[in-house]
Amino acid sequence: MTMSDSIPFAIDVEQIPAAEAAIAGQTLSPNDSPDRRAPHPSPTIYHRYHLETGTVPDIVPLPPKFRVKVKKHRLIGMVVEELIALKGDIPVALSRPCVYGVFSRPLGGLTPREELCVGCLRCTVQFPDIVQIIPNPVRQRLGDSYVKSDYVETILYEARTGRVPVRGAGYRGAFGGEGWDGLWTDMSEIVRPTRDGIHGREFISTVVDIGEKPAFLRFDEQGEVIGPLPAVISTQVPFLFDTPLDPDRSTPLVPVLSAAARQVETLAMAPIASVIALSLEGLHVVPVIAAETWNLLEQLTWQPRMIVLDGWDREHFDMLRQRFPGCIVCVRVPMDTNVLDLVQQGVRVFHLTADYHGYVGGRFIMDLILQAHQSLVNAGIREEVTLIGGGGIVLAEHVPKAIICGLDAVTLDVALLVALQASFHGECTNRKTASFSFPRMDISWGVKRITNLAASWRDQLLEILGAMGLREVRRLRGELGRSMFQRDLEREVFGEELR
Amino acid sequence: MKLNGKTAEERIIEKHQEALHNGFHTWPSLVFDRPPAMGDARWTSDLILSTWMQAEKGKPPDNGLEYRIGRSGGGFDALAFKYLPREQWIPEQEVIDTSIPLNRRPYDRHISIPIPWYGGGMSYGSVGEPIMLARAKAARQWGTFTSTGEGGYPESLAPFAEHVITQVATGMFGVREETILRAPIIEFKYAQGAKPGLGGHLLGDKSTTAVAKMRESVPWVSLFSPFPFHSVYSVEDHKKHIDWMKTIHPDALMAVKVSTPVDVDMVAMGSYYAGAHIIQIDGGYGGTGAAPEIAKKNIAMPIELAIPKVHRFLLSEGIRDEVVLMASGGIRTADDIAKAIALGADGCILGTSELVALGCTRCSNCERGRGCPFGLTTTDPQLSQLVDSEWGAERLCRFYTSLQWQLRAILRQLGLRSVLELRGRMDVLSYSRRDG
Repeated sequence: MTMSDSIPFAIDVEQIPAAEAAIAGQTLSPNDSPDRRAPHPSPTIYHRYHLETGTVPDIVPLPPKFRVKVKKHRLIGMVVEELIALKGDIPVALSRPCVYGVFSRPLGGLTPREELCVGCLRCTVQFPDIVQIIPNPVRQRLGDSYVKSDYVETILYEARTGRVPVRGAGYRGAFGGEGWDGLWTDMSEIVRPTRDGIHGREFISTVVDIGEKPAFLRFDEQGEVIGPLPAVISTQVPFLFDTPLDPDRSTPLVPVLSAAARQVETLAMAPIASVIALSLEGLHVVPVIAAETWNLLEQLTWQPRMIVLDGWDREHFDMLRQRFPGCIVCVRVPMDTNVLDLVQQGVRVFHLTADYHGYVGGRFIMDLILQAHQSLVNAGIREEVTLIGGGGIVLAEHVPKAIICGLDAVTLDVALLVALQASFHGECTNRKTASFSFPRMDISWGVKRITNLAASWRDQLLEILGAMGLREVRRLRGELGRSMFQRDLEREVFGEELR
Repeated sequence: MKLNGKTAEERIIEKHQEALHNGFHTWPSLVFDRPPAMGDARWTSDLILSTWMQAEKGKPPDNGLEYRIGRSGGGFDALAFKYLPREQWIPEQEVIDTSIPLNRRPYDRHISIPIPWYGGGMSYGSVGEPIMLARAKAARQWGTFTSTGEGGYPESLAPFAEHVITQVATGMFGVREETILRAPIIEFKYAQGAKPGLGGHLLGDKSTTAVAKMRESVPWVSLFSPFPFHSVYSVEDHKKHIDWMKTIHPDALMAVKVSTPVDVDMVAMGSYYAGAHIIQIDGGYGGTGAAPEIAKKNIAMPIELAIPKVHRFLLSEGIRDEVVLMASGGIRTADDIAKAIALGADGCILGTSELVALGCTRCSNCERGRGCPFGLTTTDPQLSQLVDSEWGAERLCRFYTSLQWQLRAILRQLGLRSVLELRGRMDVLSYSRRDG
């Protein structure tokens, strides 16, 4: 991204609890327990999951999408000629071709309002010798080679409005393509909830369960469960928020994402150093601990519902399970890890990661998810394991596609940065070295932007689920029969001899 | 104030209409090169400009504009014909038949059209009355059809009734006994390629008083066509639907429009057994007046992949020659039509390409505010006047002339004397996908 005016993120740590409380519409006291801060409402009060959205303007204005180049002397000449030819018929001579107000200033085409141009081209069609509409190269440089400029536009629209992007005319892009673009989702001609169902009476669930899910429970003679009950967290959406591990880069994000996670009723992963530094706690906060930050564990004075161990270390894994009984210990490993090996060592919840462009060792996340999922299916233990995945998931459509390939839930990373109008300094690829900065912002602005983004993505997930006739996202996991891979279809249809 | 008997509004419309017509003529000549902001991977600036030129001149361009394929990198854009050596081409003086039947069953009314395409459904509301009229006039001129879409049947179309398909979709907007009785073909719309499984959505801004009256709804309120038909949850229900229409109008042919899911082949077979004469499969990259972007790109398969799947399945079931398979959703050019037929369709259904012939720049602002600034996808009282139905009909007729000329040229170079011989001839195609 090449937005100007970007400065390092500035926050007031003191704002954080108050901001969270304000967002939740309640007052917190310092003595409140983590449960008090829980996002879940009382079971006795009727609560239908719904995210409140509203317009949250960009802090840094987007450059206009189009440049409007007017040859002013020709324009003046044309108007004069028209006035003479039309015998002084001023309303006709001064009537302007743009219905979007680009020429609505008193001097019309002499001072065009480029920010209003939608690229309909009517002006240039009518007057090719006077006006040219040109795609703005500054706008086209937004993002990087993976998060393309039109992705950035889409994410910013979603974060600004909370709405599903809707436009006229058909699809404008390439025929399928590499990565996620090579996968289409299914639809059902007749069996599905009604249109009312998507946003109205009938309910499509986007809840997912994260945790240990044993195939069966054991009971003693009194009918009591033997041993501890498996820990499971249900989030209202199948996407979690993830931050870079480097505290210098993650600290600015953590307060926003933690408060947004609470609002959205999902989870925010944050490096333990940031969690401690910002005194964050709550059911929606998931500390991430690595070998190099292991010594900070002592400073974590509350029990999280889930903790992430970054990198596989059997000893640390066992220590975390002992120290936090009832807490889900999730292991973060690269997406190409053999998960079966770790399952045999007791891991039940994984956070599988790729770089920000969705690659590990030259392989794209889609194939790696399929591989991990299929290995668990083949071993007959898929239902007992939770697979969370992240990296390269930057558009709403990537969420259902990743779930179809086999994930239970995804983590969002770069999309969150874009929603908060981060400037990328070069390619934003490597999780450890990617460089970006934010405009100066209030936490509440950031939380609303992320909430808008989540609401928009959830609504788009509902569109996909609704089209398929599925009433819950849990059923989508590994639902490969409801997907169409371009490579398979082309092979089936055209065969090798046609290629 | 009136001047020369015309109001200021009329004079302004006249000025802009003239300027637009001048632009549609000038740009394809490439005097100003190509408009830098025009086009996309599917509809390149060359395809748009060459369509404008065909609509004016009735023949494809000869000035270097690429009028056959876009640059989407796959599908039609990656398919090419394996033409015969020149000495095996059919001579120019020999007549090449481009007609197709629309009923392949041995019973019921037999209708054939002289060109293997007709116009797809575009509702009153998504487009204005002048556009519907232009399409109907062109359909009558060519002996083919156009479809009402779901927004009702304006009375101005009644004189063209023999060439107008009445669409029955889930919102039942404007569906009346008299509009059913008028139609030689009745089309059930189950789904639309651009937004499969999501129903229709006319935004409030476009639901003007006139549109609301036609649809028997409240002005300026968004209208949803639900999905699916709430009375159809099986092939048996589907048959009952068709029986219901046949009861009202026994002489009409039944067309069924569906999208392209994984099991599109089974859906097509079910429609056949329910009694459909025409099965229209609408691919995922099809047009729309408004749809979620996520749906347009991601839900259901492109038409190029669906046609062979359905064709082969109908063949294997032994029913291929009893049903007409029409393809839509991304058909832009004569080459696309010929390729779709070679892949297994009987013919095609056009939508966006007709709008492009009438001046659409594919700017994707159909749903915004007052609607299309070119007067196409709008019912705005002022903007609609930018298109005169006679002018539009002439352009569509010339566009059809060019398409037919090109189709004949393709058939000639393949050594085929009838478009019927092309159906399912995948052996005359090669496929070479590349990045778009």
